[in-house]
Amino acid sequence: MRKTLTLVLVLTVLLVARGAAAVSVATPKGPAEVFARGDLFDLVELIRLTGAEVAFAPAAGSYTAVLGAHEVQFTPGGSLAVVDGKLATLSGPVRLLEGRTVGSLSTANELLAPLGWGLQGSATTPELAPLSAGERIEVAVVRDEIGTLLVVRGTAQRPRMAATKAGVSLHFDGPIALDRPIEAVGELEGGELRDTTLTLRFLPGYEVANTYQLKDPPRFVLRVAPAQKPAPAAAQGEGRGGPLVVLDPGHGGEDQGATGPAGELEKNLTLAVARLTAGRLQAMGIATRLTREGDEGMPLHERTALANRLRADVFVSIHANASQARGARGAETYFMNADASDPQAAQAADRENASASPDTVQLILWDLAHVANLDASSRLALAVQERLNAMQETRDRGIKQAPFVVLTGATMPAALVEVGFLSNPAEAARLTSAEGQDQIAAALAEAIAAFLRPPEPVPSPPATP
Amino acid sequence: MNAARGFALAGVALAVLLSLSCGRRQAAPDETAATPVPTAPPMKVVLFFPGDDTLLHREDREVPELPANGASRVKFVMGELLAGSQQGAPAPFPYAATVEAAFVDNRGNAFVALSAPPPGGVQGSATEVGMVYASVHSVVANCPGIERVQLLFGGREVQTLGHLDLSGPLAPRPELVAR
Repeated sequence: MRKTLTLVLVLTVLLVARGAAAVSVATPKGPAEVFARGDLFDLVELIRLTGAEVAFAPAAGSYTAVLGAHEVQFTPGGSLAVVDGKLATLSGPVRLLEGRTVGSLSTANELLAPLGWGLQGSATTPELAPLSAGERIEVAVVRDEIGTLLVVRGTAQRPRMAATKAGVSLHFDGPIALDRPIEAVGELEGGELRDTTLTLRFLPGYEVANTYQLKDPPRFVLRVAPAQKPAPAAAQGEGRGGPLVVLDPGHGGEDQGATGPAGELEKNLTLAVARLTAGRLQAMGIATRLTREGDEGMPLHERTALANRLRADVFVSIHANASQARGARGAETYFMNADASDPQAAQAADRENASASPDTVQLILWDLAHVANLDASSRLALAVQERLNAMQETRDRGIKQAPFVVLTGATMPAALVEVGFLSNPAEAARLTSAEGQDQIAAALAEAIAAFLRPPEPVPSPPATP
Repeated sequence: MNAARGFALAGVALAVLLSLSCGRRQAAPDETAATPVPTAPPMKVVLFFPGDDTLLHREDREVPELPANGASRVKFVMGELLAGSQQGAPAPFPYAATVEAAFVDNRGNAFVALSAPPPGGVQGSATEVGMVYASVHSVVANCPGIERVQLLFGGREVQTLGHLDLSGPLAPRPELVAR
């Protein structure tokens, strides 16, 4: 009897304790009770305390929180969220507990921060407060074997970049604050923050060569390099006196690409074909440049950026294919994705052309040029594919469009050619033979030359008497 | 005495079994028995697999049920795709990929987190185009409201697996589907 009473008492205490599982959260409007279990908080209640509207969409199975111009979406049972349209991975999952949508303190902060709020203090005495001066960033100077890197730490934002007379300005979407003043180090002469724009000044003669973003932790990196002197008119651009072709041998270095049945490597094949093609084009009097001269790695964006910087007239990336399908064979040629005239591609172009201004007019001009290039790129791809089709034993796989990284952001007619399937033993033998490579190079050179040839004038109809 | 008792019990048991067995055989069909409750008709998913021509080939498949919820439905469809073709098409992924999570936003985008490929595990643009667009087309075809799909690998967004720009959601490309 006594034991039973004790058990009932313990259960009652436990039930009461469970029912009272709430924590008092300090907010600017006073304390508020929020459901909590250990270090897990009711995320919906917390977010609503900020004044955000939170709605559940049963069809998507996700919550959407909107506050001002910012929007956060998250799903119970998942670790993914969409913050202002961009995908984000949360440090911990959003869980369902007793009919509540809960998450840890850090998960709560990851959802609150884009809305301009943060949860501080401990799990037992949390304090919900607006983020004061935005993310605190730090600019560090790092040197590597190539040169100097400026690393912007402390934000996952990818700033828009514009060249200034003395350096570069970075425009952030959200509020930021400098962790400490920017000091003059190496090529970096100094910098200032005004609102959401960070201006960096370089020593005379230096500019941003390229930029990229790193994760875990998020960093935005700018490579600073000596400014490229304008090339002589005869060697670059329209006044060069002749067209310039940039050939890109796919892969290279540690990136071996596809491997054939006998261990043939795509990176070697593409380099061999590119060299042979370049030789044939040069023999025709067409200036040609390779993105890599040997077995070295090169990021995809830099390949296109090189062609852009050289103001090439044609860019062709050379690859060999592979497929799970045993019967797959033949060549195929891709050109720029029709969707590439979207903001993503514009950003890529902005990234690669570090000196390009991101203002609206520049973007519109770039977009117009890009769309105009689509038609020319399709003609280039067709010329390449037709020549490859004409080769004996080559099956027509047609021209296609897909969002290839190496084609995105190209500011000239560009195509990517898959000259055949290394995964097909018969084709691999042909692709790796000297004769096969020479045939392919001849087809590519003829196609590029034909594309560059000015169209023959159409004879005007005889005048009627 | 015990043996006799045992034989008697065995005999009784045998008799009971035989009578039951005969009874079953001789029983007339029970006209009054309730007809089987009709089960819900199987639902259909439309999947796309890359063929020998590396174009995507449509394959219809009956499934007992299809989750209504956006993310669960996306995950289910991807699971069916990764289970492979029932009509002999090559595997859409060159490695034993598994679906780790799915997410649907309110802009018509689905995000599918897959296990990461082994180093060098995705070779050739045909393989990459096949696996990415088989996923995009299969998800969009079966999940109303989804217009674009982004694949994540190893729990994170990737720029590329070597060729395609995978940094954002991709829309279907009808020209990649065999006619």
